[in-house]
Amino acid sequence: MKRVVSLLFLAALAVLLLYVVANMPPMGDPQSPTRTHVVPKYLEDAQEETHAPNVITGIILNYRGYDTMGEVTVIFCALAGVLAVLGREKRGRIYAYADRSRVKSSTIVKTMVRFTVPFIILFSVYTILHGEISPGGGFQGGAIIGASMIIFTTVFGLYESSQRIPQKLRLPLEGSAVLTFFTVGVLGMVGGGNFLTYAWPHIAVSLQPAVVVWLTILVEIGIGLGGAMVFISILFSMIREGEEVAVVP
Amino acid sequence: MGAYRHFPIFMITIPLVGAVLLPFLGYLRQKWVPWAAAIPLVSSTILGSLLMGRMPAGGYLSYHMGNWDPPFGIEIRVDYVGLFLMLIVCGIALLALFFSRLYIFKEVSGGRLTAYYVLFLLLSGAMLGFVATGDIFNLFVFMEILALSSYALVAIAGNRNAVRAAFKYLLMGAPSSIIVLLAIGFLYSATGTLNMADLSARVAESGYTEVLMVAFILFVIGFGVKAALFPLHMWLPDAHSIAPSPISAILSGLLVEVSAFAVLRITFSVFTAGATNLVGGTLDAVSVFAAAAVLYGGIMAILQKDLKMMIAYSTISHVGYIFLGITAFTAEGVAGAMYHMLDHGLAKACLFLCAGSFIYVKGYRRIEDLKGAWRQMPWTCFAFALASISVIGIPPTAGFISKWYLVYGNFSRDRWPYALILLLGSILAAVYCLRVIYYMFFQPGKEGAWETVSKDAPSSMLAPIWILSAGTLFFGLFSSLLIPSLLRAAKFLL
Amino acid sequence: MRLFHNYHYVAAMLLFCIGLYTVIVRRNIIKKLIGLNIMETAVFFFYISLGYMDNGIAPIRVGGAQPGQMVNPIPQALILTGIVVAVSVTALALSLVILLYRQYGTLDVDHLMRQEEDEGEGEKGKGAEG
Repeated sequence: MKRVVSLLFLAALAVLLLYVVANMPPMGDPQSPTRTHVVPKYLEDAQEETHAPNVITGIILNYRGYDTMGEVTVIFCALAGVLAVLGREKRGRIYAYADRSRVKSSTIVKTMVRFTVPFIILFSVYTILHGEISPGGGFQGGAIIGASMIIFTTVFGLYESSQRIPQKLRLPLEGSAVLTFFTVGVLGMVGGGNFLTYAWPHIAVSLQPAVVVWLTILVEIGIGLGGAMVFISILFSMIREGEEVAVVP
Repeated sequence: MGAYRHFPIFMITIPLVGAVLLPFLGYLRQKWVPWAAAIPLVSSTILGSLLMGRMPAGGYLSYHMGNWDPPFGIEIRVDYVGLFLMLIVCGIALLALFFSRLYIFKEVSGGRLTAYYVLFLLLSGAMLGFVATGDIFNLFVFMEILALSSYALVAIAGNRNAVRAAFKYLLMGAPSSIIVLLAIGFLYSATGTLNMADLSARVAESGYTEVLMVAFILFVIGFGVKAALFPLHMWLPDAHSIAPSPISAILSGLLVEVSAFAVLRITFSVFTAGATNLVGGTLDAVSVFAAAAVLYGGIMAILQKDLKMMIAYSTISHVGYIFLGITAFTAEGVAGAMYHMLDHGLAKACLFLCAGSFIYVKGYRRIEDLKGAWRQMPWTCFAFALASISVIGIPPTAGFISKWYLVYGNFSRDRWPYALILLLGSILAAVYCLRVIYYMFFQPGKEGAWETVSKDAPSSMLAPIWILSAGTLFFGLFSSLLIPSLLRAAKFLL
Repeated sequence: MRLFHNYHYVAAMLLFCIGLYTVIVRRNIIKKLIGLNIMETAVFFFYISLGYMDNGIAPIRVGGAQPGQMVNPIPQALILTGIVVAVSVTALALSLVILLYRQYGTLDVDHLMRQEEDEGEGEKGKGAEG
């Protein structure tokens, strides 16, 4: 019964949405409102104004940096929520289900993971720093670090990976994304503009490109580091099953 | 304007940054966390009040982030109504925070204390950002911060009911956010911009009316779930009654108001009152649902046995009031809706905090257990009675003023069935509120249930309760402080 | 007809409806969350195809790329934020699922609702010990 009603409702919704789609500007139309209104200026001037060849990085960090600040606050809020619900792991010897599993990871897997994780982290650092020039950016790099830690934790167990990235390293850095944004924003106000201005009006015009570039890199690193630490903390909170102070048999 | 133009962004970011810094303090000295959590909210309140008298001449403050002019950059747009709502948010959040200091040990275990205050500050900061923004995608981002922190706060008690209520809330709230995102996508495809002021100009001249109409419907559905408008309200009774009482106060008193305010902004600032061909049909449907909400909420509230459930259903009823004011499309109706946001926030927060103090002192949740309560807890009972009077809408409280404008606004537009339903809602409210008051004051208590000597809630909990209920009286007596400017703002919107 | 020309949008809308169907109808909570993710992905797909252009190139100004030929960068910037938001919601939802499973032992929504009614009856029986 519920299934039938839901199907009818969804059929109505599908008809409604397809009706909308039938009346939208044609796909790929160079005259549609999305292409003629704001976008040409972004594509033309982004390189000069944001000093980042990647127009998208220019948009998310510079033109619409406030949205990105909101985004890093969302991810921090998710962390706070997960910690409120599940709690942080205590210090001491902590366990996940995988640690006590009878089926240990094979030596091949362990060796491969041990080889590749450093390169993955290197790649993520490259992604973070190179986000201005190629597709990539702060958040993508942070997610890659998080993914590499997921592989490591799955294969080696929670105790090993929490030794590598202990709580006293993660705790200060979790909020680094929001704090970096706030600092850059306030610096922008000190430099004479509004919040989150990169090109400070108070300094000489010749110095502005350097300032913009350095601030962008700083923000990227902040987002990357903060995002990575948040992902790893969420992972550790979710995957733990319990703490024990005794030694594993 | 000088330095004052920076105030709104500080009002928004200081609570957010405070939330990020709070875990450090929690690590070092957990006892200071509640006091430290109050600092960002106090500073936001101070900044807001200072800004109130110094708004620029045009009636609104437009702040361009990063020195980029809209529509290329994000704009923060604070007008009188927005600033007024931001101050309400700051004030009620601050009072709920003070209430939490002692109360929270009842419901949340010690290890989660810091997380509670972090989420609280994130919720408050996000509400401020939500109200102040002038860019529609930014609205979505702040709505998500709001939503996530409220899901976690409903679940924070950790017991079975809390987790179940939070998950039910999430299961309805997350799709609603996606629906809003889809609506933003439709709006963007038809107009090409994301800035609200720019959108209002381009919506009027755009030829893609079907797309815009459906975008509006999806906005109403998406924000309607968050505001608990009638058929989309199913998450509210569980979530609001099971959440810790200060959080229920904020959820009912602020979150649903702010979501209804978002619908108001979308209708009047993005689609503009002139676009009746786009919004008219949907708003008529919304009126019907709002009327149903008033009646449904009232009737269900009468049937409840648990105090917080009753107050939660009353919220559903009052959301119907606000939407009936918005859809009336008259200056009085809209001004009544906005004033109702104020007085419902005050009164509902007061009711939930009173329920919290009953739980704190005695652990009682059922209405029947409140028989004869006034002997031991007179302050709480009197505050509850005063707030109930505002909920019913009897003069001289603020509830009467807002209902007067709502009824008048509907009546003057020949929507007299809706005006009648509003009055009927007051009668229903009288039934469920007076029932509780009757039990509290006029019924003898069970043997040994109440002590004869007054041992009411601690003063740090009573003070916020009394400030809120005195507020309902104050804003009723001195409504001339705000009503003229609200009427002017409403006429401007129309 | 325009509907066939906008085939990306059509696919995005169908995917959205499939996701919403999954969220509403499936009894297993994890499947509901997967449905939520399908809805989110559908919306992201819709946004990105808004920026589509025939023979368009990536909006990166290197190697003599002409701005007139680049795809629309704005939806991509919006979706970066959107993906992060979707991930956050999924993370919080999964942590709630973990807690639900620990406390109820089941992932079936109907069983959870039935437990709710049983508990409701039990609470009404209890008195002022509450």
